[in-house]
Amino acid sequence: MKEKAFVIGQSVRRLDAVGKVIGEALYPGDIDMEDQLWMKIRMSDRVHARVTAIDTRQAEAYPGVVAVLTATDVPVNEYGLIMPDQPVLCGPGSSKAGADIVRCISDQVALVIAESEETAAVAADLIEITYEDLPAVVDVMQAIADGAPQLHAHAKNNVLNHYRIRHGDINAGWEQAEVIVEGEYHTGYQEHVYLQPEAGLGYIDDEKRVTVVVAGQHAHEDREQVAHALGLPEEQVRIVYPAIGGAFGGREDMSIQIALALAAWKLQRPVKVVWSREESIIGHHKRHPFTIRARWGATREGKLVAAEAEVYADAGAYAYTSTKVTGNAHLMVNGPYEIPNVKVDTYGVYTNNIPCGAFRGFGGPQGAFAAEGQMNKLADALGMDPVQIRALNVLEEGSITSVGTPLPPGVTLSKVLAEGAAQSDYWHKTGAGWARISPTEQPTTPAKRRGIGMAMGFKNIGFSFGAPEENWATVEIHGDAKIERVVVREAGADVGQGAHTVFAQMVADGVGVPLDKVEVIGHDTAETDNSGSSSASRMTFMAGNAIKTAAEQALEKWRSEQRPAVATYRYVPPKTTPYDPETGRANPNFAYGYMAQFVEVEVDIETGHIDVVRVVSAHDVGRAINPQQIEGQIEGAVVQALGYAIMENLVVKDGRIQNPFLSTYLIPTIWDIPRETKSVILEYADPRGPWGARGMAEMPFIPLAPAIVAALHDATGIWFDHIPLTPESVVSRLREHNIGVI
Amino acid sequence: MPMPAALDRENPSVLVMPGPGLPAFDYVRASKPDEVCDLLLQHGDNARLLMGGTDILVLMRDGVLAPKILIDVKHLPGMTTISFDPAGGLRLGAAVSMNTMTAHPAVKQHYPLLAEAAQAVASYQLRTRATMGGNLCNASPAADTAPAALVLNARCVTWGPDGERIIPVGAFFRGPKQNVLMPGEFLAFIDVPIPPPGWVGRYIKLGRNAGGDLAIVGVAVLGYPDANAASGCRFRIALASVAPTPIRVPEAEAILANMPITGETLERAAPAAQAAARPIDDLRGSARYRKAMTRNLTRRALDDVWAGLRKEG
Ligand SMILES: Cc1cc2nc3c(=O)[nH]c(=O)nc-3n(C[C@H](O)[C@H](O)[C@H](O)COP(=O)(O)OP(=O)(O)OC[C@H]3O[C@@H](n4cnc5c(N)ncnc54)[C@H](O)[C@@H]3O)c2cc1C
Repeated sequence: MKEKAFVIGQSVRRLDAVGKVIGEALYPGDIDMEDQLWMKIRMSDRVHARVTAIDTRQAEAYPGVVAVLTATDVPVNEYGLIMPDQPVLCGPGSSKAGADIVRCISDQVALVIAESEETAAVAADLIEITYEDLPAVVDVMQAIADGAPQLHAHAKNNVLNHYRIRHGDINAGWEQAEVIVEGEYHTGYQEHVYLQPEAGLGYIDDEKRVTVVVAGQHAHEDREQVAHALGLPEEQVRIVYPAIGGAFGGREDMSIQIALALAAWKLQRPVKVVWSREESIIGHHKRHPFTIRARWGATREGKLVAAEAEVYADAGAYAYTSTKVTGNAHLMVNGPYEIPNVKVDTYGVYTNNIPCGAFRGFGGPQGAFAAEGQMNKLADALGMDPVQIRALNVLEEGSITSVGTPLPPGVTLSKVLAEGAAQSDYWHKTGAGWARISPTEQPTTPAKRRGIGMAMGFKNIGFSFGAPEENWATVEIHGDAKIERVVVREAGADVGQGAHTVFAQMVADGVGVPLDKVEVIGHDTAETDNSGSSSASRMTFMAGNAIKTAAEQALEKWRSEQRPAVATYRYVPPKTTPYDPETGRANPNFAYGYMAQFVEVEVDIETGHIDVVRVVSAHDVGRAINPQQIEGQIEGAVVQALGYAIMENLVVKDGRIQNPFLSTYLIPTIWDIPRETKSVILEYADPRGPWGARGMAEMPFIPLAPAIVAALHDATGIWFDHIPLTPESVVSRLREHNIGVI
Repeated sequence: MPMPAALDRENPSVLVMPGPGLPAFDYVRASKPDEVCDLLLQHGDNARLLMGGTDILVLMRDGVLAPKILIDVKHLPGMTTISFDPAGGLRLGAAVSMNTMTAHPAVKQHYPLLAEAAQAVASYQLRTRATMGGNLCNASPAADTAPAALVLNARCVTWGPDGERIIPVGAFFRGPKQNVLMPGEFLAFIDVPIPPPGWVGRYIKLGRNAGGDLAIVGVAVLGYPDANAASGCRFRIALASVAPTPIRVPEAEAILANMPITGETLERAAPAAQAAARPIDDLRGSARYRKAMTRNLTRRALDDVWAGLRKEG
């Protein structure tokens, strides 16, 4: 009865498409409850200060105000995704020592709950907070210097984490090196700008659980953090996700969740909050700015022999996921290449800046910016083609990475490179190796220059470095003689990427029923088991593996006449290990995706405007469960990475964001995006992936910035080591070389 | 209810979160000009005028303004009418939307520069509401239609307690976000005379992206043959976003009137525009960048207009 590949590989219509298009889908801000109150969160006014007093009298006396909550109201006043280093509410009299200190402007100090949204907003301003300013540090290099203000007792010199790689013999490597290139790379902040700013509702459900309706990426993790802060057992907390308006990593950490739960718990009434765009931009973490100093050496033939790097990431005031983000950068700063001698030191550093955390690519874009910049500079210094030098150096099946171990089976870097290059229409393979088909054609306008460049990369799928990793799925087959309905319970968050549709496709194939017989139940900790987060390009891979086995087992039970036939399966991938503290040796990841990008840009040397004309993005996705969704991820990631590379410029001065508005923090518009984005989708099965699938959602983000830089170099002869490449910054760099405006 | 403090988008050194939505206000749909004057006089700063609302509503949402009354003047006679007379020129009702204006046959045929400037504003969706009248009244240094209005010698026709007044656009701006309207007075029409025969115009806007951003620099150039000019041509040049108000650049215009037009002359006029620019540093661009771009864009606009004139001639 089972038909093979029932709907796998087909671009079936998204289950949520119609509801979202006609406005029927409810996002957290759309949901109201009778009797609900409104909350306003008062954030810190200072970047580093001790809160000595909070006078809430005026606010409490304001008509319509129901309650004002402060640090003394929080049962366990700490939280944090990887370590609880941030107070839920900063202020005196807290249950935790040190929670009276604000360390950044997004620290939350008080919650005002009132009968209306307006009242809550007005009353929040009436709270008088007395601060005793503390010396602040907002620069990474100053933060690690002796004598700097210390932000956390557990981080000497503000160093949250320091990783090392000592691979091979670096001195021997330098002796073999015939060509050496160096660079100091700077990458900027990036804001997620998901369509839906933070919003949610807290209430007590029929089973007396404190319930938070919110948009997130990992319901069970949210539950754990809320339960911890409220001092409740996890069973007494419930997290429900309605439609989620984008995430990109920005919803991995807490923003409004604990505040909503606390207010609802204290008042035993529904409490709602909706953040404005400004509150959203200030109130949640950002992509980490990095400074990377890299020095790479190769032989005259182009074989890499040595790579050294120092990597500094501004973690901001709290850890969030910085240890993991810097862990990824630590590996990816060496590129997907076999380098026998490597020395890397990577630091995550606390400052009084806005906290940084997860964002599509998770340290990969920053690492790749340096690695691919180095590779392109090496090709240039050697007079080699950039594809050819990569073909000589990419990791193959069994090659040893910079952390002393091979990649998991199914390494396809050289195939992705070759097929991407061939399909880019810019490169071809000649007897002497890869070469450009023709030199870049220049526009007739003298102010415009065209260039073509490329970069590649690798990115892990799933949690790394020994972090516990699992995914639960339950498949229920209902019916009597015939299968009438198949239910899959899978918590994995559909953040807008279409996860639920892919789950349904996998269940339909696994059980052998048409798609319209499948129902996905997810997004509710009361209905599902832990799935891990929708992050690290992992959900198709992880949920797919759980669903596939659960479907097989349910089908067996169906065949042995069980009604309904129900099977639950917990998928656990192969174990990973953390970096060895001295050498960095590790098995960091259990799966990877591989990618290469080829871009054509036109730069106006008089105004500094960069027009990314065309992008060819090649990916090994293992198996395209839903090809259209893959194209959507590629095109979306390219646009987001284009913003990161050339436009998105979050200005932070003395720890304060200067442009928390979409009128001053620009993201790409329809006029700014490439005229053509060509997706090259390759399907070399991952032996560990469900139906062979690999994750792919972060991968198209990662090589774009260095590929644009390579194209700019082709156009102007100049390297740009700082992003974002805003028009003004491009003009001043060109000016240094007497090009364009003098 | 006290107002939460106001946001300053350009300089949020102390960040204040705005309250949700708009502050409460009364909406009055005016049907007679005198009614508008009376309401304005009666309520002073507590009353504001409303056309497309794309400036005023943003300021209200940010808490910068909290008028008690919004007086909608879109429905006054003639406010949304466009008329063209080959002798007298174009009369635009102040509340004509930018999309209506750019699609109007007379504008397309006789004033393509106006359409080009209006199309530099934001997005199509926004231009369905935004008006050129509002753009001028709002008096932002970055107003995209202002340089075109300046080089077209447009006139603001206002109505006030003392009746009609005609103010050349060049005398309409007083400073950033300030115009010369008197208490009780409002903009009723924009009159655009017939430009000199054989004219060619161009507006170039530079933002940080390809669309949607406010101007870092905007340059309008209008050129026409003139036997009385030593060069045989006259050019009018106006700039946005590089001074407290949109400005004309007579220094550069003089160079172009007095010397034979060659590549070199155009090259000399551009730095004169640059010298006239007195920009500030802000989040969109430094003063230095703005000055350099003033020169580059002026040069580009002049090149385009000169090429057009030669084709015509
Ligand atoms: C997203 C966005 C993007 C924008 N991009 C641009 C851009 O690229 N370029 C640009 O130049 N502008 C831009 N603007 C600003 C704005 O859209 C324009 O200035 C528009 O032309 C204003 O017209 P309006 O009819 O909406 O004005 P309104 O907001 O209705 O009025 C503007 C001002 O004039 C006053 N007023 C209204 N009618 C009269 C009258 N009859 N007499 C006297 N005073 C009056 C109002 O009280 C108010 O102070 C943008 C605005 C937004 C929200």
